[in-house]
Amino acid sequence: MKLDIIIAGVGGQGNLLASVALANYSMKKGLEVLGTETIGSAQRGGSVVSHMRISDKKIHSPLVPNGRADILIGFEPIEAVRNIHFLNPKGKFIINNYPVPTIFCNMGMEEYPSEEEILGALKARCSQGYVIGASEKAKDMGTLMMTNVIMLGALAGIEPFFEKQELERVIAELLPKKVLEQNLMAYEEGYKMVANSEANAVSA
Amino acid sequence: MQKRKFIMGDDAMAMGAIEAGVKVVTGYPGTPATEILEVIAKERPDIYTEWSCNEMVATEVAMGSSLANVRTLAVMKHNGTNVATDMIMHFAFTGVKGAYVLVSADDPGANSSQNEEDTRILLHTYGHLPILDPSSPAEAKEMMKAAFDLSEETSSAYILRPVMRVCHARSVIEEGPSTAPDREPSFENDRSRFVMSAVSEPKAGGKMRPLWRHELLNAKQAEYKEIAEKSPFNWIEKGEGHTGLVGCGIGYTYAKEALESLDLSLPILKLGTLPLPPKKVREFLNQVDRVIVFEEIEPVVEKMLKQICYDEKLQVEVLGREFFLPAEGELNTQIVLEALDKLAVAELPEDLKPFDRPKMPIRIRTQCVGCSHRSLLNAMKEVTRKHKGIVTGDIGCHDAGSFPPIELQSTIYCMGASIPMAAGLAKSGLGRPVVAMIGDSTFFHMGLPGLVSASYNRANITVVIGDNGTTAMTGFQPHAGSGINVMEQDVPKISIEEVVKAVGASVRKVNPYNIAETKKALEEAVTEEGVSVIIATAPCYLRNSKTDNLFFTPRAVEVNPERCNGCKICINDFGCPSLRYKDEKVTIDKATCVMCGMCADVCKRGAIV
Repeated sequence: MKLDIIIAGVGGQGNLLASVALANYSMKKGLEVLGTETIGSAQRGGSVVSHMRISDKKIHSPLVPNGRADILIGFEPIEAVRNIHFLNPKGKFIINNYPVPTIFCNMGMEEYPSEEEILGALKARCSQGYVIGASEKAKDMGTLMMTNVIMLGALAGIEPFFEKQELERVIAELLPKKVLEQNLMAYEEGYKMVANSEANAVSA
Repeated sequence: MQKRKFIMGDDAMAMGAIEAGVKVVTGYPGTPATEILEVIAKERPDIYTEWSCNEMVATEVAMGSSLANVRTLAVMKHNGTNVATDMIMHFAFTGVKGAYVLVSADDPGANSSQNEEDTRILLHTYGHLPILDPSSPAEAKEMMKAAFDLSEETSSAYILRPVMRVCHARSVIEEGPSTAPDREPSFENDRSRFVMSAVSEPKAGGKMRPLWRHELLNAKQAEYKEIAEKSPFNWIEKGEGHTGLVGCGIGYTYAKEALESLDLSLPILKLGTLPLPPKKVREFLNQVDRVIVFEEIEPVVEKMLKQICYDEKLQVEVLGREFFLPAEGELNTQIVLEALDKLAVAELPEDLKPFDRPKMPIRIRTQCVGCSHRSLLNAMKEVTRKHKGIVTGDIGCHDAGSFPPIELQSTIYCMGASIPMAAGLAKSGLGRPVVAMIGDSTFFHMGLPGLVSASYNRANITVVIGDNGTTAMTGFQPHAGSGINVMEQDVPKISIEEVVKAVGASVRKVNPYNIAETKKALEEAVTEEGVSVIIATAPCYLRNSKTDNLFFTPRAVEVNPERCNGCKICINDFGCPSLRYKDEKVTIDKATCVMCGMCADVCKRGAIV
């Protein structure tokens, strides 16, 4: 068994908590885990990519090779496309449809691609995936900070390896008590976004 | 600590140092090495840890402790190793007393650095010091423990050279037994070793002492090689065919993964030490016609193998980063696979073939929303533009002021370079005002000698010190001006103002959130003679956002669409990421705005209120 996961986003979106949750979950199953983050020139609004590798055999390198990721989790649409080469054509993606504009886009020097362009770029590589409104939901529930937990709920909805209750317990161990209840509700919402409906599914 | 933990390579190295009985740990923050010292400070308050003012000081403090026969560790990134080079070149000659391990963390690919360097060249090829080069967090921990023992065995400093993907990789690490020696600090004079001076040495028949110590260092190499020969960090893996792969440090992991993904068994030589184990290398070279060397970053081992082939008259082709593999940046499994494909050793599987990903807009980092540097840089931009000034920059979060949209600083070099470079521009006869922009931690690191020199030499410059009370870029480490140390003890807060006054420069203090006040101070500074310093003090917003320690009064500002003419000064000049532009009007993204209100102050039309 092996599962290679790429989490692509922007500094401050909570990549790290998400990858630690997936690692702790896998460790509890007695599996090997190795991962790393690529932080584009520190944080401060730069791109952040986490590589998370899970296997029942020894894992050598912390970097997922091109074309070998089983799942691409995109916390931000263009960051997902920027890392699409990691995804295996037979893998799957799950993307948060909430753009974080770049400086050059804000300045009008570059244009942020349309939803169709982004979807087209993703589908050119991989036919199976989901696009969900995780950040919109998080905002509705009170804070953008819960985007990552909603994405993890959605992940549990699309990947049978991550058993829903068990992953929830692992996430709960990582969160401060004060925000726990709200985050677990967000996790449930994320799960519902993909598990019980085909509405967000994308197929080529 | 728990027995088994999912932790970073840095934490694993910290654990190794703790198990080895380290007593004194020094360093200066720098990605990817910072967490090693922080973890020790947090886990073990009984171990002395310090953020020194710079890496030179850190290596010197550690040397002092080593002379007291305790186990010491100095931690830095490659740029810091450059700073510490003078001391390193001296302890290479003298050797050490208590174990001395120096961590020199390299950042191949410069993911978080202003340049990429392979410090193996500086420390081994140039400094003749022995190096351990880990391939994984787990091996880094074992190497850390081994380095302490080997340092005492050889009476010389041992270097641990982890790269980014070791420091910042996360894996499951197990706690191990203590290897700490049971001894009290002690000091014995040994002037023929610890006094480095051009003096005749009676123990060497009157030979000059530096020459004699150089001979001893050269003679040590045989000892290091013996250690390398027996080292558990070097091994040969048998395989088929006449092409062998040499994996040094992290390079081994990519070679191994590539072969497994191709279901291919080639002979592998895994190397983790410098100097190399000569017999093991020869044994491997005798099995093959061709080797490919995978190492980060420079062709260090590759050139050593070429030398061995030449010396031993071995007909083995040695390929690597000199002419064959990419000469810059990180390695990865793809690079190994493509190399094997190019040599027709294996064919790339379909799913591993390069994929042309679509071009996406570039994303660069900037100041955080609410950061006091943004309004400071804005004030500096207005004043320097008016006076046709030039701004030299320095290392820290404020360096993003040199990128779009702010594009203020014209230079970024090494720590502290802003002030001397400003002095040089001013002394050139250019006749334009010159302003240096530096942060508080960098000021204490290497800014101070530059300021003293500028004042002494009567340079006509302005120096802006962005004083946010912390080393923000690397994750909020305290410094000499913070009033607290890494062990969370209250310590005297060194006053930048008093230091600057003592140097003889004029001082103006401003709150950078007050743009009008800051511009006024800048106007005065750039038009007066001599060294003028502006200290812009406001706590780092990212660190203090949830506290009352804010230097601005929150204001809920709105854009009045009637008054906004879409001039975009607030976006293209000021550059707050919470400002958006749509249908020729600016809007504020409420989800990310922190109500600092600075955009209202930069709007020339009063459209943001």
